[in-house]
Amino acid sequence: MAGSSGTNGQGFFTTRVDTFLNWARSNSLMPMPMGLACCAIEMMGFAGPKYDSARFGSEAMRFSPRQADLMIVAGWCSYKMSHAIRRVWDQMGDPKWCIAMGACASTGGMHRCYGVVQGVDNFLPVDVYISGCPPRPESVLHALMDIQEKIRNEYSVVQDYEFGKARERAPIMPENTNRFPGQLEKPKTSTLTLEAPDADDAEEASTPEPVAA
Amino acid sequence: MSKPDNPRDENPKNPEELRFHYTPTDEPGAEQETENAHAKDTTRVPAVIDALREEFGAAVLDVERYANEDTIYVEKNRIREVCRFLKEEEGFDYFVDLGGIDNFTAEDRYEVFYNLVSTERQKRLRLKVQVDEGDMQVPSVTEVYRAANWNEREAYDMFGFSFVDHPDPRRMYMPEDFDYHPLRKEFPQLGIPGSLPLPPQTPDGDLTMDPFAAAHGSQPVKSYEEPATDPDSE
Repeated sequence: MAGSSGTNGQGFFTTRVDTFLNWARSNSLMPMPMGLACCAIEMMGFAGPKYDSARFGSEAMRFSPRQADLMIVAGWCSYKMSHAIRRVWDQMGDPKWCIAMGACASTGGMHRCYGVVQGVDNFLPVDVYISGCPPRPESVLHALMDIQEKIRNEYSVVQDYEFGKARERAPIMPENTNRFPGQLEKPKTSTLTLEAPDADDAEEASTPEPVAA
Repeated sequence: MSKPDNPRDENPKNPEELRFHYTPTDEPGAEQETENAHAKDTTRVPAVIDALREEFGAAVLDVERYANEDTIYVEKNRIREVCRFLKEEEGFDYFVDLGGIDNFTAEDRYEVFYNLVSTERQKRLRLKVQVDEGDMQVPSVTEVYRAANWNEREAYDMFGFSFVDHPDPRRMYMPEDFDYHPLRKEFPQLGIPGSLPLPPQTPDGDLTMDPFAAAHGSQPVKSYEEPATDPDSE
């Protein structure tokens, strides 16, 4: 921004629309608190008076996705919950950002098991990852500042009006078009039988399609 | 138990006694021989076992005692009657827990345990039924103890027992269309790839069947183009 003064001695600033918009957006982030586990407690500390995210303009936690533009996924996410999270994410208006808070949301953490998604970046475009189990509120503040930094470096106007048309379909890499990439074939359990309620359905569902070489 | 010494006393009369100054005084009765220092009187229920034997005879298969706790094995098909008898005649009014055990043996592979408490007698009781792999049907005790509803759903979800006459036999944790029972011993800990889909990576895309899609190169992207260059570098 550049300062100047008018003919009547009134001061004013000139700036680019991008810079102005980014300044406004980055200082008025409204987080959607997707609190799933103990990280949510630290997220409350982040919003509370001691750590005070109001200093960064993001004290207004919005539980409605329509009013939020920053999703903080705090805690481990099960496969069952992941569908609800993606739905909430899709309901948030653009532009929107995402923080994966803590080890579990970033990688699955200590929950290396059948029911927990091994990192929410498998279905959400995560902007900032926070390490820790759980992270301290300072870490969340740091992540928020990183998001602000990212926003200040975006082409807001160009993004909205030139590249801004929604993509018809995001590119999905060839690996993902196969149901099972090579290293993820169904485990060989010749000695053990996996029982399913309906043998036909189970066979159909669990037979890996041939992987394109 | 005699009154212990004052813990702040510099020369206690019986220092050993002080070590347990803050522990409860619920010690095993004199007639019980046990080497378990933490054994409690509350888990021994000989009178109830006698009453059960009198009422149900051969349906009480076995009584096991470990760590001063009684476990009563009963016949699977009589479990509901046994529970009703215990609740109505013996005062076991508090249903604490129910769950499954997978022993991974050829015969009687599974067990279902029932933990009951009598608030009136202040006694605890553990019932077990053995379930063979070929016949996973277990009578539901929801009719007797309504609290068993969700526990039975959980045991069904995790082990695949089919609780006969359960009012709401749905899965508890896993999605309804999930094909497996994860706490069975043969189930791989990381799950079966493709059995639990992830949500689509785009608002109108297909479900992601690969649980490690990001690691395999398919990262979800934002719905708008992110800038390739830094605007201030111009």
